[in-house]
Amino acid sequence: MRFMVLVKASPASEGAKPGPHSEPAGPSDHEALKKAFAEMGRFNFELANAGMLLGMDGLKPSSTGARISFSGKERVVTDGPFTETKELIAGFWMIQANSKEDAIAWMSRVPFEEGQIEIRQVGEASDLPADVSDPKRRAELYALIDRANAERKAS
Amino acid sequence: MRFMILFQATPDSEAGRLPDEAARAAMDEFSLKMIEAGMVLGGGGLLPSSKGARIQFSGGKKVVTDGPFTETKELVGGFAIIQAESKEEAVAWISRAPVADGEIEIRQIFEGSDLPPEVANWERRAKLDALIDQANAQLNAS
Repeated sequence: MRFMVLVKASPASEGAKPGPHSEPAGPSDHEALKKAFAEMGRFNFELANAGMLLGMDGLKPSSTGARISFSGKERVVTDGPFTETKELIAGFWMIQANSKEDAIAWMSRVPFEEGQIEIRQVGEASDLPADVSDPKRRAELYALIDRANAERKAS
Repeated sequence: MRFMILFQATPDSEAGRLPDEAARAAMDEFSLKMIEAGMVLGGGGLLPSSKGARIQFSGGKKVVTDGPFTETKELVGGFAIIQAESKEEAVAWISRAPVADGEIEIRQIFEGSDLPPEVANWERRAKLDALIDQANAQLNAS
């Protein structure tokens, strides 16, 4: 099973202070930052060495983002920053685990002093009814996505 | 530049209800355009928050709370990872999504060049990326 683990934003992550995986109440000085990155690195390697880590990224503060509001044919674009920090995401891991409990057990070991993460199961093609998801079509689309990733890595 | 596109959960997605066929077809058509333009690096739908959990960290203590979570609009219902030349380009593309209601958030993803190397060890990240690629390859092969 795949899970998206969402890291909730904090005033620190919104303040553009680079944290290891956007650590919420991140340290502010250079040495402390290096230490925090090292601890997070150790955790990430545990996940990765167990074959569980499928992806992870930090999101830049919402000041560099935007929201698009849809209403019928109307679109309203609002640039960040956005004020309700606790509703914002600061980063994510994508992991695979045998069960939600397994995912929780692993992600409980994230070296955060403060903050919140949300663990959500990712839908698989097998979750969709057979008539909805055409396997050949899906394979074609995934091939294109894989190619975009490969080209990006090669560049 | 890479962006994470965040789609809101809806009462339907929280109830595990799929959008109707017309809506799915329209979204597929839109997704296809972006995929064919080489912009899509990944994406997925999230199952209802009733299948999820939150972990609150506080002073080294952890509290686990199982879903569901009530504030539907604040929940993520799905995501995409895309590449674009600029935020403006990302916004222009996503504005064309066949969505009639709600809000989509576009957030920029940190890249290697954004963080000082002595702080964020990019050699280490490269090793992690190799393990990540391996896990994905094994998953796709299965």
